Amino acid sequence: MNFFSVQRDIPGIDPVFLFHIGGFPIAASTVMIFLIIVLFVVFAVIVRRSFRIKPTRFQVLIEYLYQGMIDMLDEVTNDKKRSAIIFPIIGSIFMYLLVANLLGLVPGLSELMFDGKQIFQTPTGDFNTTFGLALGAIIVINIISIKEWGILSFLGKFFKVKEVIQAFKKSVGEGAISLVDLFVGMLDIVGEIAKVISLSIRLFANMYAGQILMIILMGAFAYILPGVWYGMNIFVGALQAMVFAVLVAAYYMLAIKPDADTEEQTQE
Amino acid sequence: MTEEAAKLIGKGLATVSMFGSGIGEGYLIGKALEAMGRNPEMAGTIFTRMLIGVALAESTALYAFALFFLI
Repeated sequence: MNFFSVQRDIPGIDPVFLFHIGGFPIAASTVMIFLIIVLFVVFAVIVRRSFRIKPTRFQVLIEYLYQGMIDMLDEVTNDKKRSAIIFPIIGSIFMYLLVANLLGLVPGLSELMFDGKQIFQTPTGDFNTTFGLALGAIIVINIISIKEWGILSFLGKFFKVKEVIQAFKKSVGEGAISLVDLFVGMLDIVGEIAKVISLSIRLFANMYAGQILMIILMGAFAYILPGVWYGMNIFVGALQAMVFAVLVAAYYMLAIKPDADTEEQTQE
Repeated sequence: MTEEAAKLIGKGLATVSMFGSGIGEGYLIGKALEAMGRNPEMAGTIFTRMLIGVALAESTALYAFALFFLI
């Protein structure tokens, strides 16, 4: 046992199951998710109760945060009306991820043990959480897209049958070229799936890498050095929450009907 | 060759991808600094967009990192 280092096992990629409720396994990250939900509900009740016309310091802080999120979203959408439609989703994803990424860094929380396992694990350090979030976000965006375009033209974006028929009516040569478009359109379906995977793996890998490097650094030299990485973790946690939210907003902008003046293509 | 040796070679190969991510990030930050130099009053917006870009570029290396521990 070395005085300068704290040895710990590197956690695996699989979720850690704590106990079962009616045959349904409850993982450490799920417990943390419920903790976050409880925190949010308490927070919402407090904020709702304490709102006055003459704002207190606390209220100013909350309003500043809210305005900051709206400004960030406006920068992506370039349209106040669009922002108002999508803000409930983007805002809640951002707040949830911010708290989820940062709560795992609270000292002492990761030391609470149950049966020799951590009770609270960073939810975004578990691939299931991020994959569920990304899948949900992309499904919502596609539903919004269907609502906006109508089911037929939504499918028409992926299967460009109409364009092919029109091109063949003009000439055979153009028709042959439009077959390539048909294929590219079908590739967009793969693109939608790739969005889910890239969104979820990005967030998961960032958080998981943070945890692992922390443990490695603690094993190498347990003073000063982990502190620097701790600061980096706070920064990365906030940044990744923002990146996830901004990317979902950007995908939303790609999915809806483009306005005449907004031709901003924000793709990765 | 044993299975363990093959795994170690795979881990080594996975780390090579960090090379590309490093180039990408350096290029991105360099270009952002250039833009800030040309147009200092836009520095704030450029900086936030640069951070998002860096996070995106970094994720490539992090895919490799996740793979490194999966192997």
